[in-house]
Amino acid sequence: MGGLQKKKFESGAATNYITRNRARKKLQLSLPDFRRLCILKGIYPHEPKHKKKVNKGSTAPRTFYLLKDIRFLLHEPIVGKFREYKIFVRKLKKAYGKTEWSAVERLKENKPTYKLDHIVKERYPSFIDALRDIDDALCMCFLFSTFARTGKCHVQTIQLCRRLTVEWMNYVITSRALRKVFISIKGIYYQAEVMGQPITWLVPYQFAHDHPTDVDYRVMATFTELYTTLLGFVNFRLYLSLNLLYPPKLDIKSESELKEEDEDDYAMGSESYLEKLSALSASLARVVTSTEEEEAQIDLFPTEDENMEMMEEKEKEKKLLEAQMKIFEGLKFFLNREVPRESLAFIIRCFGGEVSWDKSVSIGSTYEMMDETITHHIVDRPNVDKRYINRYYIQPQWVYDCVNAKMLVPVEDYFIGVTLPPHLSPFVEEREGDYVPPEKLKILALQRGESSGQQQPEEEEEEEEEEEEEDEEEEDNDEEDQVEENKLKKMEEQRSQGKSLQVKVTPGKVKMENPVRLEQEEKAEEKRLAIMMMKKKEKYLYDKIMFGKKRKVREANKLAAKRKAHDDAEKAKKKKSRK
Amino acid sequence: MAAARRLKRVAASQPGFLTLKSNSTDLLSGRRKRVNKNKKKSWNKHSDINDVEEFLNDIRHQERTTGGLLAEKSDDSLFFLDVGQPLNDAQRDKPVEEEPVERKKRKGRVSRPLRIDLILQQDSLIPPPKDVLAYQQPNAKKLRRSAQRLEQLAAKGVVPRKQRQLLNRRPVERTTLKAVTEANNNPNRDYYDIWGQELKDLADPWYLQQTCKKRVQRPERLNEKPSTLPAVEVIAPGGSYNPEFFSHQALLKAAHEVEVVKQKEEDKIKRQLAVNKEDTATMETIFHEELEGLVEEEKEEEEELKDEEDVAVGAIVLAQKKTEKQRKKERALKIKEQRRMANRRMNNRQQQLFQLRSIKASIKQQDQKTKVNQIRRKAKQEAEKSQPRRLGKLKFQPQDMEVQLSGELAESLRQLKPEGSILKDRFKSLQKRNLIEPRERAKFKRRHKLKYVEKRAFKEIT
Repeated sequence: MGGLQKKKFESGAATNYITRNRARKKLQLSLPDFRRLCILKGIYPHEPKHKKKVNKGSTAPRTFYLLKDIRFLLHEPIVGKFREYKIFVRKLKKAYGKTEWSAVERLKENKPTYKLDHIVKERYPSFIDALRDIDDALCMCFLFSTFARTGKCHVQTIQLCRRLTVEWMNYVITSRALRKVFISIKGIYYQAEVMGQPITWLVPYQFAHDHPTDVDYRVMATFTELYTTLLGFVNFRLYLSLNLLYPPKLDIKSESELKEEDEDDYAMGSESYLEKLSALSASLARVVTSTEEEEAQIDLFPTEDENMEMMEEKEKEKKLLEAQMKIFEGLKFFLNREVPRESLAFIIRCFGGEVSWDKSVSIGSTYEMMDETITHHIVDRPNVDKRYINRYYIQPQWVYDCVNAKMLVPVEDYFIGVTLPPHLSPFVEEREGDYVPPEKLKILALQRGESSGQQQPEEEEEEEEEEEEEDEEEEDNDEEDQVEENKLKKMEEQRSQGKSLQVKVTPGKVKMENPVRLEQEEKAEEKRLAIMMMKKKEKYLYDKIMFGKKRKVREANKLAAKRKAHDDAEKAKKKKSRK
Repeated sequence: MAAARRLKRVAASQPGFLTLKSNSTDLLSGRRKRVNKNKKKSWNKHSDINDVEEFLNDIRHQERTTGGLLAEKSDDSLFFLDVGQPLNDAQRDKPVEEEPVERKKRKGRVSRPLRIDLILQQDSLIPPPKDVLAYQQPNAKKLRRSAQRLEQLAAKGVVPRKQRQLLNRRPVERTTLKAVTEANNNPNRDYYDIWGQELKDLADPWYLQQTCKKRVQRPERLNEKPSTLPAVEVIAPGGSYNPEFFSHQALLKAAHEVEVVKQKEEDKIKRQLAVNKEDTATMETIFHEELEGLVEEEKEEEEELKDEEDVAVGAIVLAQKKTEKQRKKERALKIKEQRRMANRRMNNRQQQLFQLRSIKASIKQQDQKTKVNQIRRKAKQEAEKSQPRRLGKLKFQPQDMEVQLSGELAESLRQLKPEGSILKDRFKSLQKRNLIEPRERAKFKRRHKLKYVEKRAFKEIT
């Protein structure tokens, strides 16, 4: 017969988990300290599968951690530092109470501090791991660097964040890594490609903060503490990879250019260097100063034909990318005082342009407004008093749209006082059959090298749409599907536009045997047969897929028609207003 | 002693003696009380010695205050003739010129004591009583010991606590700045290549592990992220500052749907909390309630009585014993049933041989079903990976969507009014990715009730 009776909750899930309070007691830490430790070490609460079993029969909502995680925490040297800090605070309080100032001084001098270097190394064993996780760090640092120094968080943290973000921006400029920008109502999204990793971050607008009350600042500060350490090390490594001096130094040439101004007006001596760096208008100094860019060329090995093709394609892509990275090269910008200086300066410099601003706006301006060589003057006000003939006066959105289009967008749509075309999100990737806004189609056409004026009728756009779809079809393997689909689409379009099919009688012609066409027909016939031969189940699935595709096309067409109607209405309105 | 006293008494009886206190008490008038005086005790008790006591007190007083009996002092020592300040002729003639001389004189005068001081000087014959305590030291031994200990400590170089405290209160003036211990958020901290250098441990790894000199390796499991969501979720294209018409409409619709769901929930609660109108009391129902039990009482009572009787009859249960015959019959029936069932089972099993095909089909069906279920479960698990989990008391509450209505949209970048807070967005993102548990801000709890007191100044006004 059976041995000892098994007791409940002594094995299985109940022993794998530990509640937060028990974990806290095990580590002998207060709750805030425990929370801090968990954040720093990357140990997160876990939701058990069977809560009742883990909670020993109770269904009360609790926070659980895995017991093994907490055991791992026990080895952390920072835990000791936390305890020391607690005692330090106690002693300090006592000394204050007794008004023993010398003791206060002494204690403050020996304040226990800790480093997070080993944690960074432990959590991100390789550089690529760290780079993959840098999104969060960037967002947090950019956010904290815009905080006012009002005691919501430590002033030093704000300064450190500012320094790190400036370093990061300078790196992105030097490496030409920026890919996408999106001005949203929240803030500005940037995406850069660093070492093959897409890195997205969000930068708040300046002076846009109201401090929400339901955010735990202590938690955020702890995350920032870790992320500043991480971002610092990543920055160092990135600077190293570009042969730049790490605490970034301005190029001697550009530094001398900047020196002419009187710096004392802007910042204290200790801060002026960072300010100059954050102006982003000067290039950085390298470890080995080289006059010409070393172009890394891929070594060519004679291999098989397929590989050769691949290589050629790659090279082509690379060249294209390089060209895209230099879209502003040779252009000279001047920023009026009402435009967001930092964002624009960052983007323009990222794509090789030269930029300056009024001397009184910020430190680091390189040329005056009177400069005759300026090509673009960025203005965001209804009109300008004095205009120079040889430069474009454009609204700031032009710069952002150029970056997203990867080319110089025609300037006409962005002149002062012109209603701007919508700012499209570059983060949307349209799949086949989705609705594509006409503005994007225009840009796509421009990218393909077609010139499209404003007078182009909408029908052309539709044709473009078709072309585009056809382009995509070529890539697909099963072309038979596409042929049928195309027919359907045309039918749909015609129906949606309310056109009746044209019927005409024309004199007959001698039909030439077209081998290509014959082949196509044969293929279509084969496909029809294949469809006929399908099993019932497969047929059902096939029908479903086709139906889905058709529906999508139909919806897209509907939206396009709607848009057209909308545009027409707008035009009519404009005409009326003109009259 | 006795002789001296007598002498004094004699002196006092003489007519020239002066008493300090002028009002001497009169002799007791009235009838004298008769008492025996044959015993010394009763003498002491009944003889009146007040006058003598007074006299003696007076003498003592004189000796104490004036330094001897006034009667024996010479007149010169008691009185003097006040003739005013004698004036110098020279002083009267040239008061301005003679100033330095006067100063000299004053200097000479300073050495002579002032008259006031002379008067106030003690000239009592009675020496002041000795303060015994002045010569005694309480806890002399203890003090001596502590002094010795202090000396010893001083010899060792230990500063006593009191002195230390005093020294501590004094603010230190530091001459040299010490190297500041570098805090984690020091804006000028330096970084190094943390991934480049690989430290080669020369020592035995086993030794390092056993002596806690090697860090415990981080479990691989901890490097997995608790959610598959990206760190930065880009806002929908409708959130552009200058959005395309349709994407903006799509975003507005999404926000609208969220609002509708919220509204529905609120409405539901309202509906549940609403008061049913039929439940409210009307005049009629109140009247009925008041009449309850007053009318038609007797009928109800009769009915109740009947009910009780019925219950009493039905409660009797007959429990009869089975006979032996019945039992036997039951057993036989049971065995027969069992046999029948066994037979049937056997038959069934044999028949199954011919049903193989259908059985196979059913098994196949079952397999398929499990497969489908497996796939479904897996898909659900995958979907759950990107969902916020329930990590504590509170569920994750997504923040309000950032939306600008068509009227609010800015015409240019300059006029753009940012929507929402990025700080909150980041915080919610952390919660959504299961990095921290959703939490409410700790509420302030007052331990003791507040007490309101009107201040006096305020009270006077009102």
